[in-house]
This record gives sequence, C-alpha cells and structure tokens, in this order.
Amino acid sequence: MEEKELIKKAQEGDRNALAKLVKLYEQTVYNFAFKICRDKERAEHTMQETFLSMVKSIKQFSGKSKLSTWLYTVVSNHCLMMARSNKKHLHASIDDEDSLIDEKNITDWNISPERIAENGELKDILNEAINKLPPDYRIVFMLRDIQGFSTEETGKAINLSVPAVKSRLHRARAFLRNELNNTFSDGT
Amino acid sequence: MAHSHKPTCKEVMNHICDNLGEDLDSPKCTEIKNHLEHCEKCQKYYKSIQITIQSYKTYQVKITDDVHRNLMDFLNLGDCEE
Repeated sequence: MEEKELIKKAQEGDRNALAKLVKLYEQTVYNFAFKICRDKERAEHTMQETFLSMVKSIKQFSGKSKLSTWLYTVVSNHCLMMARSNKKHLHASIDDEDSLIDEKNITDWNISPERIAENGELKDILNEAINKLPPDYRIVFMLRDIQGFSTEETGKAINLSVPAVKSRLHRARAFLRNELNNTFSDGT
Repeated sequence: MAHSHKPTCKEVMNHICDNLGEDLDSPKCTEIKNHLEHCEKCQKYYKSIQITIQSYKTYQVKITDDVHRNLMDFLNLGDCEE
C-alpha cells in the first residue's frame, strides 16, 4: 500500500494503517534522534514523543509536504528542546570561524566511508566528534547533509534564517572534518 | 572593465563548506570551480569534507526489537502487529 493511501486510511481511523506508518519511519526517526541526542534512552523518548505527535495530528496532516519532512521537523524540535534542558554536557566552542580552516592542516584522506561505518573503533571516533558539536549545529548538519533537506527546508524546520543555516552548516562541516582529520588522513 | 578577483585557497575552502551540494552558477562559483580544478590542496579539502558527510550518512543506529515494542505499546498500537 502506498504512503498516501496509508495516510488516508489512518486519517479515517484505521489503526493498522497508522501502525504501518509508524513502522515505515521508526528506523529513520530513531537513527536521527540518536545522532542528535547522543543517548539511547533520550533517543527512544524523543522518538516516542514524535510519533505521539503524529498519531494526535494525523487527521490535520494536509499532505502538502511529505510525511517524512513533517516527522523530521517534529523530531528536530523535540531534540532541540531536550538538548536545551540538558545543560550538563559541555560542547566545543566553534565561534572562531577563522580557526576552523587551517591551510597547513590539509592532508589526503584515503579511506572509504563504508569502512568507517563498519569499524567499531572508527565509529567511536565519529561519535566522539559529533558529540562535541553543539546540538544547534548538529541538527543543521543532520537535516541538511544527512537527510538531504535543502537550506530553505532546514531553516523552515527549525525556525532559522537561510544565512544562519549556512553559517552553522559551514562551521559544523569544518569542525567535524578537523576532528576526524588526525585519524582519517593519509597513512593511518 | 569588470574587476576579476582570484579566490585564495582559504576562500575556496570556506566556499566548499558553505555551498557543497548546492549547484550554483554565479561568477564567484565559476571562479571557485576553476580554482578547485587546478589546486591539489583544495581538492584534498573538498574530498575530506565529502568523506566526513558520507561517513555520517553511512553510519546507522539500528532500532532494537525492545525499542520497537515499547514504541507500539506507548502508542497503544501493540495489537496492530502482524
């Protein structure tokens, strides 16, 4: 059954259709929530709240945007709220734009992304790097680069102007690249 | 006569961070592309940014059966499992 049909049936009160929609998106929503929240319990809670919002408002869903776009908007804002309430974790300061790109520190990377994702030790390095990134930047990187939102869609989802999205994305990319550089540069 | 400004490596690297993935055709972008074609250092930087993005894209955190069941129960949809 196509997504549109499932949404229509769910809007008419079909609980099986609603369950199928949940199953269709639970993996991507959980994956996204985990990468922002950096904690399994918080990711699970955020995912539950996101789908609860979907269940409660499915009847009002107009279909003008994709359901996935709507879900990412909801999960992003849940993640940001949770991150702002959790002030214990200290993040790196990435305000100094000039220091993010060091021309002397440009090396060749001869490693495939697939190898990184399959290797536990390298995955830990990805986790450590993104963990240092402030959540406001992390979410822009995730929406724009990982989920493939446009700059405008990213801004709309989290209520940021286009220049602010670009600035955060720029810093997030450069910061993560620098964090990974020692491990992924040539000769490792 | 139009003033032509040749971008520096730093400007190109900043631009890569700003605009990777956006297919822009402005004169500035054309200058950047020309620079990138001939500058090994900037090509390395471009490649490292692409690998960074692709690594996070490839890395997936799988949902467990317990987390799935908890979700369906939380939404009162536990009885809709096939």
